[in-house]
Amino acid sequence: MPSMKTLFEHAYVMVVMSDDHPGIISAVSGAVSRLGGNIDAASQTVLGGYFTLIMVVSLPQAKEPEALAREVSGPDAPGLQVLVRPFIHEDAAGGQAVERFVVTAFGKDKPGIISRFSQCLAGKDINITDLSWTRSGDDFVMIAEVDIPARIDFGPLAADLEDLGRAEGFTVKLQHENVFVATNQLRLTR
Amino acid sequence: MLRTDEILSTIQMLHAEHLDVRTVTLGLNVDDCAAGGMEPLCRKLREKILSRASRLVEVCDRIGRKYGIPVTNKRLAISPVSHLVAGHGETTAVAIAKTLDEAAAACRVDLVGGFSALVQKGITPADALVIGSLPQVLSETQRVCASVNVATRRAGINMDAVLLVARTIRKIAEATADRQGFGCAKLVVFSNIPEDNPFMAGAYVGEGEPEAAINIGVSGPGVVSSALKRRLQMGGNLTLGDMAEEIKIMAFRVTRVGELIGREVAKELGIPFGIVDLSLAPTPQVGDSVGEILKTLGIAKIGAPGSTAAIAMLTDAIKKGGAFASSSVGGMSGAFIPVSEDAVLAEAAASGSLTLEKLEAMTAVCSVGLDMIAIPGDTPAETIAAIIADEMAIGVINDKATGVRLIPVPGAKVGDKVEFGGLFGSATIMEVRNAGAGDAFVRLGGRIPAPIQSLRN
Repeated sequence: MPSMKTLFEHAYVMVVMSDDHPGIISAVSGAVSRLGGNIDAASQTVLGGYFTLIMVVSLPQAKEPEALAREVSGPDAPGLQVLVRPFIHEDAAGGQAVERFVVTAFGKDKPGIISRFSQCLAGKDINITDLSWTRSGDDFVMIAEVDIPARIDFGPLAADLEDLGRAEGFTVKLQHENVFVATNQLRLTR
Repeated sequence: MLRTDEILSTIQMLHAEHLDVRTVTLGLNVDDCAAGGMEPLCRKLREKILSRASRLVEVCDRIGRKYGIPVTNKRLAISPVSHLVAGHGETTAVAIAKTLDEAAAACRVDLVGGFSALVQKGITPADALVIGSLPQVLSETQRVCASVNVATRRAGINMDAVLLVARTIRKIAEATADRQGFGCAKLVVFSNIPEDNPFMAGAYVGEGEPEAAINIGVSGPGVVSSALKRRLQMGGNLTLGDMAEEIKIMAFRVTRVGELIGREVAKELGIPFGIVDLSLAPTPQVGDSVGEILKTLGIAKIGAPGSTAAIAMLTDAIKKGGAFASSSVGGMSGAFIPVSEDAVLAEAAASGSLTLEKLEAMTAVCSVGLDMIAIPGDTPAETIAAIIADEMAIGVINDKATGVRLIPVPGAKVGDKVEFGGLFGSATIMEVRNAGAGDAFVRLGGRIPAPIQSLRN
């Protein structure tokens, strides 16, 4: 990801969690507006009736993170849990060259699966950038987008992941992101 | 951002339906290997091939592993051997073939195409040498493939060449009688031969092509028939329009995979990327069959009324999907119906539902022609020439490439079964009805003039 530029100098990363109902985003964005601030980036998802939002917010004047959190989770927005930290952009890949791959794993659900796959990846210095775990028919499907450092040989890595999958009763595939882009999107590659 | 359903459908296509890249064919112009003596000519040819192609297999395999998509065949195509043979004798023609065979083996490529002559308007002494050497070349080499272009839209059909090639086909069959005439499987007779075709046996590097190019043949029919079956299982009031749409989507996806791999191979090798050939090329493997697609579309017996319409729809949908996926479409780009190489077609030919005449009708609306068809070994050369002439006429009048790959199996009679092995499959000897009844027409010789291009009915 290229380094992110915010509109104002004082930037914060903010996480909001709540049970899902209308008006959460309105309350949160209204609070940022009242402070004269800007939402520089946001990603939101709802899972099992629970709402979660992560944002990068910037303000013209510095504010204590705790004070900013209190501002957002004020009386207008009951039930919101808000966590704020100063935003310092760091590249998780540490500036090294990476290629994006997708790990998919299909199998019967059981405890510890994500833990085992993610340990295997973490042990090899591979960062997970996006993760989903959903039901597809009778199976559970894990889809992890991962950044693989260029120095790692993907052949043995794929074999390791497939072996781990077999041991757990999961079918695992490691595919380059370009294959999905080429076969589904209008352009050949990103 | 990739969507979950996109990821899952691609994974399904790659792993459950065995998507592959059928062929990566390195086209190489070898005209600069011409020399006055046989020895320096063969040495230059060997050196050029080894210097340009020795990394092809390794690079294809590595990129195939990176993307988890195998490149099934790695091949070479060269500029017509007739250019090199000019001024030499038959000994040189055979020596060139053996040099090609050895160089291809050294590079670990499956086949090398381009032992070719273009004779649509006339036969040069070099062309005659190439054609004359074919019985020895195709019986004494493993990897060399040959093609002869006998007709084009602009020249018409050279019937003298057609008869010469037909007689040569009989000789090749005799020279490889111990292998049931298998030498003939490595020769295609063409009209309007494409300059950039990556598929064998007809691959060669034509006029106007670059010094070197990477040309791609995409995955086979298996992925299309699986997609159609899945669509049918989902139910609903499906029409042929829905089926065509599904074929189009699959063609888009397999073309994209071919181009993705091809461009990366080309980049690694420092060779320009040429074209993607959209053709669905079957293999004898169960499920990897164009006939299976027609069955899925509701043609219970291939060859039954409706077969021509079904394959026309299939071919058109492939072209539409593929043409949107890539701006570099070329080669044959249609649907192949090589009888012995397609288990369902071979079965239809064996049961008698699919006849030579119906195959000919089907080739008028798909590529490539009467392909991998075994006929009785005693079929007269004039009759073989007449079959070729019919197929060439379809190509010339419709301004498309058509090919003929007939195998007159020595000693075999209608209904006998022959095994060619591997990708070439097995075939039942098909009947040639009214054999001999058109021979007088063929013997008139000369050239069938180029067709009129207006008054198109």
